[in-house]
Amino acid sequence: MKRLWRSTPLRLALALVVMFTTVSLLSLAASYAVTRAAFEQSIRDDLAQDLAGFRAAPSARAVSFLVQAESRDTDPGRLVLSYVAPDGGIYGNGAVARDDEGFHIVSLGDDGATLGNEYLALSAKLYGGRLTIARSRAEIEALRPVFVNILLVSLLPTALIALSGGVILARRSRRHVEVIRRTLERLTGGDLAARVVPGRRWADDLTRIGSAVNEMAQAQEHSVTALRQVSSDIAHDLKTPVQRVSVKLEELAGQVDGDAKALVVDAQHEVAGIAGVFHALLQLAQVENSNLRERFEPVELGALARTIAEVYEPSASAAGQRLETALPAVPVHVRGERTLLGQLLANLIENALRHTLECSTIKVSLWQDAATVTLCVEDDGPGIPEAERAAVLQRLYRLDRSRNTPGNGLGLSLVEGVARLHGAQLSLEDAAPGLRVCLVFKTE
Amino acid sequence: MKILVIEDDATTGGYIAKGLREEGHAVDLIAEGREGLLTATAGSYDVLIVDRMLPEVDGLTLIKTLRGAGNATPVLFLTAMGSVEDRIAGLNAGADDYLVKPFAFGEMSARVAALGRRPQPTELETQLSAGDLTLDLLTRKVTRGGQEIDLLPREFALLEFLLRRKGRVQTRTMLLEGVWDLSFDPMTNVVETHISRLRAKVDKPFPNEIIRTVRGAGYRIDG
Repeated sequence: MKRLWRSTPLRLALALVVMFTTVSLLSLAASYAVTRAAFEQSIRDDLAQDLAGFRAAPSARAVSFLVQAESRDTDPGRLVLSYVAPDGGIYGNGAVARDDEGFHIVSLGDDGATLGNEYLALSAKLYGGRLTIARSRAEIEALRPVFVNILLVSLLPTALIALSGGVILARRSRRHVEVIRRTLERLTGGDLAARVVPGRRWADDLTRIGSAVNEMAQAQEHSVTALRQVSSDIAHDLKTPVQRVSVKLEELAGQVDGDAKALVVDAQHEVAGIAGVFHALLQLAQVENSNLRERFEPVELGALARTIAEVYEPSASAAGQRLETALPAVPVHVRGERTLLGQLLANLIENALRHTLECSTIKVSLWQDAATVTLCVEDDGPGIPEAERAAVLQRLYRLDRSRNTPGNGLGLSLVEGVARLHGAQLSLEDAAPGLRVCLVFKTE
Repeated sequence: MKILVIEDDATTGGYIAKGLREEGHAVDLIAEGREGLLTATAGSYDVLIVDRMLPEVDGLTLIKTLRGAGNATPVLFLTAMGSVEDRIAGLNAGADDYLVKPFAFGEMSARVAALGRRPQPTELETQLSAGDLTLDLLTRKVTRGGQEIDLLPREFALLEFLLRRKGRVQTRTMLLEGVWDLSFDPMTNVVETHISRLRAKVDKPFPNEIIRTVRGAGYRIDG
């Protein structure tokens, strides 16, 4: 809710409500003042008219009669007449006689049920007496509640509607902005296929920002695709000449004997090594492409580990090493790409076989708990010094003592790449003695 | 067999054609996609070998067009990529098998032979044999010269795979794919160790060997 208050549409709505209310109050106040003045003027005119009527009487006596007669039919709540005759007699329906001439506002206190409120009085000297005519200002006073009602009926609903409209707009705009934010988050996470899909009711400015984001993503995707295309092309361009060299070496192998033949066989091994590096680099480029995730399927890791261990078991025992497995009897599934996970396990087992001596034991284990699946390959060989554990994941890095063993320094990089592609946590630990490589997959 | 090779690299194409001709096949070589597609549609070939990157019409499009037109000639797809995605793209387009460059001629020759004579339906067979060796699929027993041989399940599967493809070379990668369902190349010679274990039981105690090594290619059981 706090974030909602800070959203642009709600702030705009609030500002508009404040502005609208101020203007309405001002104009209402002005019309109140004008209406009031008009009413007051009309009362003054009436009073002047009344006075003129009494002035038409020929004498003080006649005025007294007139006042007396008029008073009988007049509601003192509306009109009060009072004439103090020159002889001191008081006529009329109320005591409002004043000494000074002109208009006054008089309050006829609470002394009578009918007399309340304020009156506008006009006093004049007439034939030696004093005539005062007072008309009730009740009509003017009645204007106030009328204007208060107008205020309540017009302004409050408007403010409420504007405010709730603002809240609705703010909510909607927050949803739309959220769509853009999520797209940007996916783009940052490497999913370059993410796009903003604007709704039909989107505001123009948001739609424009959305298309700008899309254009940016498109451009980025193009350049990444182009880059990938370039590396594929390079691989193709280099693999074809490598193929030619191996073709020629194979032909040569059929034509020579003895020492020359041994040289050709050496050269063939070297060429196979070069092809292996290209292949591994292509595979690495491939696992860095997160599009592969779209093709993920459930992979039974237990069966896969059993198969790979079985494939390598004769090689291990031929070298005097033991390859053991500790796999659960029940199937353990993770979402992934089976070939790459198989390659990952094969790389780990090959590494262990390669870097340990005779009589060593290599153990492949797998277990599952509530939220994770853990796959480990452990050996009791020399291990990797702690300082170098991060470095061995880098491409083409090799430990000094491994320089003379086969391998191209890409095996663990691929393991790291495949683990990352699968969102699995990779760790290299000291198995005291030896190396333990573990992958922790999250299962949802 | 009549084989059409569509490959734009002259050295590789010439090498494939020459090797296959030496093996007794009739080979046509075309270096460009559009012409390759026309020739493949017009002639009746037993196997097509198609490179992925070709001028005019690329390999994937060529295979898709061919399959779209109802042509079911087996295709071996050559690719320099070899990533999971490219392999699946090739197989999805309609290729029957694929081979990653650079490859040894033996590997390619074995795969062409496998495509040309696709395994016949053998569900009705209950016994496979070669020479004096018999493998019974129902009792899971293997005998040679009347003597029973005790095999582990995977050794049995390996022997069965080779017997079902009697007379044809099976390469290491073909064995890994067929017996273990693994479509990647291990770096060390893991397949050899399995074969030598099998040989120790099937061949060693007997005067002549049934499982032959084909140099530079793989293994074969002769009929």
